[in-house]
Amino acid sequence: MDITIYLQLMIGGILLGGIYALVAFGLSLIYGVVRILNFSHGTLVAIGGILASLAYTDLGLPPYVSGIALVLAFGLFGRLFFQFLLEPLSARTPKEAEIGVVLVTVGALLMMSDIAAFLAGPTPKNIPVRFDPIELGDLILSSTQVYALAGIILLTVALHFFLRYSWFGRAIRAVSQDAFGATISAIPGKTLHGNTFAFGCGLVAIAGVLYATMFPVDPYMGFSLTVKAFTIIILGGIGNLTGSLLAGILLGVVESLAAFLIGSEWAPGISIMLLLIILVVRPQGIFGGKPA
Amino acid sequence: MLMPLVFVAAAAVPFVTQSYGLAFSISLLSAFILAQSWDWLDGKAGYTNLGHFAFFGVGAYAFAILSSKGVAIYWGIAAGALAAMITALVLSFPLFRLRGNYFAFATLALLPLFEILAFNLTDITKGADGIPLSLPRQINLLYGLLLGGALAAVGVSFWLDRSRFGFALKAIRNDEQVAETSGIRIFPMKCAVFMLGSAFAGFAGAIQAWYLGYIDPPTVFGLDVALIPIAMALFGGSGLIWGPLVGVLILGTVHDLLLTHLPVLQTTAYGLLVLLIGRFLPGGLLRTKLLKKVPFLASLAQEHHDFAPSFSGDLGATPLFSPNARTENASLVLDVQGVVMRFGGNAAVNDVSLQIKPGEVIGLVGPNGSGKTTLFNCISKVYEPTSGSIVLSGQSLASKRRDEVAHLGIGRTYQNPRPFGDLTVIENIAIALMFRGRDPLHHKQALVEAGRFAEFAGIGDKLSVRADTLSLQDKKVLEFARALASAPRLLLVDEVASGLTPTEVHRFIALLRAARDQYGVTIIWVEHIFWALAEIVDRIVVLESGTKLMEGSIEEAVNNQRVQEAYFGSKGEAA
Repeated sequence: MDITIYLQLMIGGILLGGIYALVAFGLSLIYGVVRILNFSHGTLVAIGGILASLAYTDLGLPPYVSGIALVLAFGLFGRLFFQFLLEPLSARTPKEAEIGVVLVTVGALLMMSDIAAFLAGPTPKNIPVRFDPIELGDLILSSTQVYALAGIILLTVALHFFLRYSWFGRAIRAVSQDAFGATISAIPGKTLHGNTFAFGCGLVAIAGVLYATMFPVDPYMGFSLTVKAFTIIILGGIGNLTGSLLAGILLGVVESLAAFLIGSEWAPGISIMLLLIILVVRPQGIFGGKPA
Repeated sequence: MLMPLVFVAAAAVPFVTQSYGLAFSISLLSAFILAQSWDWLDGKAGYTNLGHFAFFGVGAYAFAILSSKGVAIYWGIAAGALAAMITALVLSFPLFRLRGNYFAFATLALLPLFEILAFNLTDITKGADGIPLSLPRQINLLYGLLLGGALAAVGVSFWLDRSRFGFALKAIRNDEQVAETSGIRIFPMKCAVFMLGSAFAGFAGAIQAWYLGYIDPPTVFGLDVALIPIAMALFGGSGLIWGPLVGVLILGTVHDLLLTHLPVLQTTAYGLLVLLIGRFLPGGLLRTKLLKKVPFLASLAQEHHDFAPSFSGDLGATPLFSPNARTENASLVLDVQGVVMRFGGNAAVNDVSLQIKPGEVIGLVGPNGSGKTTLFNCISKVYEPTSGSIVLSGQSLASKRRDEVAHLGIGRTYQNPRPFGDLTVIENIAIALMFRGRDPLHHKQALVEAGRFAEFAGIGDKLSVRADTLSLQDKKVLEFARALASAPRLLLVDEVASGLTPTEVHRFIALLRAARDQYGVTIIWVEHIFWALAEIVDRIVVLESGTKLMEGSIEEAVNNQRVQEAYFGSKGEAA
């Protein structure tokens, strides 16, 4: 019986971790290519979740429809955000550009969560689509979560091939390895940066919709999601999709076990503690990758 | 002149008003202490600590917990500062593994972490209920303490701009690796400035808890309040003496207006302000071009390096440093035995041995990628060799840090010059003088002496020029002067002549000769220009694919068939 509880917790953690990994992909991709750490990344996930939830409860739109609309909307938002607020900073000195990016994205974080709370209310929302749970002996799995995880794994594989074989994928890998070299090979660096930022924001929309089908989202949870995504990047290595997926699952399992063993009120602190410990013990990450 | 005025005005506040104005002044002083102490790590050392407010919270909680147990107010305040300092010390170990945006991010994550701790450690913090305090509110005393703290913060800022410690931080800000190879042990410096800033934040937090009479987790660890002092410092101009003060005065007033006039969306308005500062003024208001044209205001924008060097222009008769003794106890200056440096499966340096006697000049040559710079990096401990031993004048360099190796007498230049970019020529050289192993100089003396090294190297007319605006040749000269200023026994010179005109190359050769003849410096020179090497070197060592191909005179090297093949390919091979 006892072992079943742990198994149940592990599975719950794996499902949770998949979604964390998906949040981390966008952050990792943007950082790897554009060298911008977007502090408002997780807040966009929360906004996406809230919008999809409102679309479902008020307009009756199924999640996949609102998901597609949100991917496009967030992509456009990301492109404009980059074009008008971030890109102009690259003309400044490195230190000023670095500070500028932090302030712009932190400012966006504060604004987005406050406006979302003002317009949609601070109460948590979700997308109440439910399928029959799957029972495996003593184990009970939420089929929504299983479908979501399957979707995430499919998306990871698709992303992997997309980044490896498409023109866009090859181009952004070139830019992330040597921006100057890529430019003199006639890759339009600036446009590509904007598009990568947009692409990362589009991924965020998917993560937001999936998140809201599993858990309630509220406008203030964004930063803690960004922290989790950051921990995953450090664990899994920048730009390493498989590493991120494994790291996300590891974080999900640790959080879910810790919530059971030491109390759920500690769960939000696990990722930060894990991050600090990893930095001391193994700064190059667990799954290889570049050191921070 | 402005600053005393501001503080006299601040000191007069309790005598003029007791209600709203006083409360406003208290909030400004508290914000100023936070903004100014934050700027020591950011403006001087280049680390953006977005979690500075967490240390304010630690101080507030330490004070509140002790005071509610009956500890006297003064001890409570001291404990607040101390608790913040100790927290900073512990957190230094993970946090300083990071740089740039990563550091900023991890420090911002401290806020939610501490908030969770404050919520959940209910036995100590009373969790979400918060800690109510019933202390006497001696408002004038409280105000006086805050004013004293603010003055002390200004004092520390002035001291940092004029001290050895401050110069170490500026070197770290520019290039940590070069700071280390210039003899600075960087971790304790970063840790110290982090602790110092945190102590001030903890002090301000303790006083805030006393003033409010109540604290709970969101008031001291909330993301929305935490970034306010940082935004203020950045708005004024981080790294400028006046930056945080100007920022606090202006943004503090704006913030107060927002709070009183905006019923909803206060955080949005503040977020917008933060965003706009980031987008349009990341260098701060005082650094804007427009402001620099206004006579009085321009003086506020004075950068730390805007001072006239006190060098007379005369090299003088005394030597730059006491020359290395010709008869060393150990007969070899450098003894490299079987050094291997592997990166993954690739051995960049493979079993290289090298013996160098005092006063020798060795030319180290080889095609690109043959391991010359990697060997330099092994000797200066930028890399830890995979195996083999390196002995400098009888002392093994195994398990020595970069700064220790520099102190033992290894100076170096970099193939792509790496001067401390936002410091002037004189500051670049003075830092090496302050942190060298052999009779390091007091910072004031170092700033004078540095002029002589610059003159010796031939850039005596560019003392107040920022290093990043120098020409490539001048950067190389500056690096040479900086390396020489560390009074090295062994100087590693990496491709100083490439890209220079023949006249400039000749000048460099003369400098190397002077370093050897006048100061007994032993030199290894990595270079591709054979005629330049031929003018000075005693011996030449040829590397190819990480291994030593040959060692001998220039003539032997030039006529050696294997060397020719390494450079030009073997006979019959298509060019």
